[in-house]
Amino acid sequence: MSKRVLITGVGVLSALGRGIDRTCDALRNEESGIGEVTYLATEHHEFPVGEVKFGNAEMAGELGVGFPESELRTVLLGALALREAVGSASLSDADIRGAAFVNGTTVGGMDLTERLFKEVYESEGASESTVNLEYNYCGITTELTARHAGKFAFVTTSSTACSSGANAIILGAEMIKAGLYDIVVAGGAESLSKFHLNGFNTLMILSQERCRPFDRDRNGINLGEGAAYLVLESEESARRRGATPLAELSGYGNACDAFHQTATSDNGEGAYRAMSEALASAGLNPEDIGYVNAHGTGTPNNDICELAAMRRIWGNNLPRFSSTKSLTGHTTSASGAIEAAISILTLRKGLIPANAGFSNPIEAGAEPVKETIHDAEVRHVVDNSFGFGGNDSSLIFSRYDD
Amino acid sequence: MAQVSCQEPLSESWMESANICTEDFVRSVEPAMRPFVSPIEARRMSKILKRSVATGKTALAKAGAECPDAIITGTGMGCIDNSEKFLIDMARQGESCLKPTLFMQSTHNTISSLIAISLGCHGYNNTYSQGMISFESALLDAWLIIKRGKSCNILVGAHDETTPLLAKVLRKAHPEFGFISETSMSALVSGEPGAVEIESVEIKSNATPEEIASTLDSDRDTVLMLGVAGIELNDSPYKAMLSRLDFEPMLLQYKNLFGFNFSVSAMGLYAAYAVLESGNVPESLLFGNTATPVETPKRITIINYSPGTWSVIRLKHT
Repeated sequence: MSKRVLITGVGVLSALGRGIDRTCDALRNEESGIGEVTYLATEHHEFPVGEVKFGNAEMAGELGVGFPESELRTVLLGALALREAVGSASLSDADIRGAAFVNGTTVGGMDLTERLFKEVYESEGASESTVNLEYNYCGITTELTARHAGKFAFVTTSSTACSSGANAIILGAEMIKAGLYDIVVAGGAESLSKFHLNGFNTLMILSQERCRPFDRDRNGINLGEGAAYLVLESEESARRRGATPLAELSGYGNACDAFHQTATSDNGEGAYRAMSEALASAGLNPEDIGYVNAHGTGTPNNDICELAAMRRIWGNNLPRFSSTKSLTGHTTSASGAIEAAISILTLRKGLIPANAGFSNPIEAGAEPVKETIHDAEVRHVVDNSFGFGGNDSSLIFSRYDD
Repeated sequence: MAQVSCQEPLSESWMESANICTEDFVRSVEPAMRPFVSPIEARRMSKILKRSVATGKTALAKAGAECPDAIITGTGMGCIDNSEKFLIDMARQGESCLKPTLFMQSTHNTISSLIAISLGCHGYNNTYSQGMISFESALLDAWLIIKRGKSCNILVGAHDETTPLLAKVLRKAHPEFGFISETSMSALVSGEPGAVEIESVEIKSNATPEEIASTLDSDRDTVLMLGVAGIELNDSPYKAMLSRLDFEPMLLQYKNLFGFNFSVSAMGLYAAYAVLESGNVPESLLFGNTATPVETPKRITIINYSPGTWSVIRLKHT
């Protein structure tokens, strides 16, 4: 019998606000965090974004860090969410020293790099700022973030674009099942950067309006930013520590669409395989799933392919589903983890968030949840994250009953 | 296993006659790409992508496999050449008229996914980017999957390309580095028995040299392959660790041949595998010590240090 992996702590920060309680309130009230760009120094004000409503100086001040860390927004966002997660699981310094930290990020410190780059490039690497380009690296982002919780026994980064956070959680679970660690803190963090805002713009997949996932007339993504971490823990360790299990990570699947670097195959092969594998590993049937927190980016391509993959599993009996990216924006590497935190709210609070911006279905019978449900009895939630390169992952969170 | 580096590409000829690198920054010797990708495809691919496909397909061919069950990549910097070009365009022309191809092929996971697309491989696919332990993170993941009996053949790789500007950043940020290089290494790791077995994969953050030395008690008959390079700043943690051993193992090195970059530790595993498989210890790998040389090693333990973190991988000839 495989070891069970429980969630005993959670921390989350997004455009909806800071902390799991605030996130819950915002979702209950259908507040959107999406608006005109304020913190990112970009020309592109035509694209609405889901920014975390804190400046770098404010977060750096609270965390007590100086340059260059004070300008690494991914680290700042990550550190705040990590502290909340570690606090909510009541992890001691000794617990952390025996635990692993797996972070999902792709942009890393690109926000600082893109500000320094012109000077460094024009000086051909002679400028004093040259050394600070090293802070671009994902690995450094993770190390700096980890230090805000303590000295972990192992720290690493999964970097699979928009599924990074989900894949970090999968590695964490695998390490617990293998008996390597009792506790793994896993999730993802990503700040907005000019690099990827412009990158997504070159692909012409950003919307100039509020995004409308799963709507017939959807026309693209609103990018967002944020961070979330789950404290994953073996059942024995949770019992020993007297920790309160919030939910169980009962299954997961990772597959590759192997179709195109930035587009999804018509039949959603990767998404289908990821969800099927997750169901099989959880030992669940499709009809056991009470809610799907969809990847639902709002691009014409993603949503129709995700629906196609869901149809292959559920046929005409789709479970309730919605994309919370309609309220948070697409937080890329953090999205799998932020949506995992929301999935836990669904299990614990009966909250199924509305899919904002939806008016008309893509096809008959494919309507996402239009109005927030406050008292849903859900036992199992699927959380989808699909990344560029066809890196598709699905997590299943279940109510924990001993 | 297959490699592209400053040595002869896709070859083990370095074991007899290694290229001696005297420059501060040495680019890789490119393999002929025609056997792996069409000229049209090759034109659209950056160096790191071409090298990863070439080493990946060569490693598969050597193992007689076609499509692996999983693909896992470690890369410290990912597709840095494309990222840098996108940044250069932003620095020159601001936030307009930028090129989608550069962005699409700029993320770390472009490598794993491109290999998956080129092989039509729908299995597990992941990418790790954790500085100098990116490769070890990927190998640990593969190791866990095999231990759980989930997938049999896993293509594990570590790839880093180095642009002239990145070489300058690394030189400033890493005074401990010797010559800066680029390396690509792919290995097919399998649950089936083979000539060489991976006994264990361990990564320890915040561990002291004493703690690492104490875990090597079981390695008395083992040759150690270390990330040493005869550079005091680089070697001192290894020396501190070795000074805690109450035995004197035979020592091997590999960075003298393959240089310094975030993926180079994969070359330590590759070189150790080459030694075990061939039964020959090339003189170029010997690291000056007085221990009695082992002529045909049966076990090699690969130990690497990156600030704050040690990795220990044990290989055994079966």
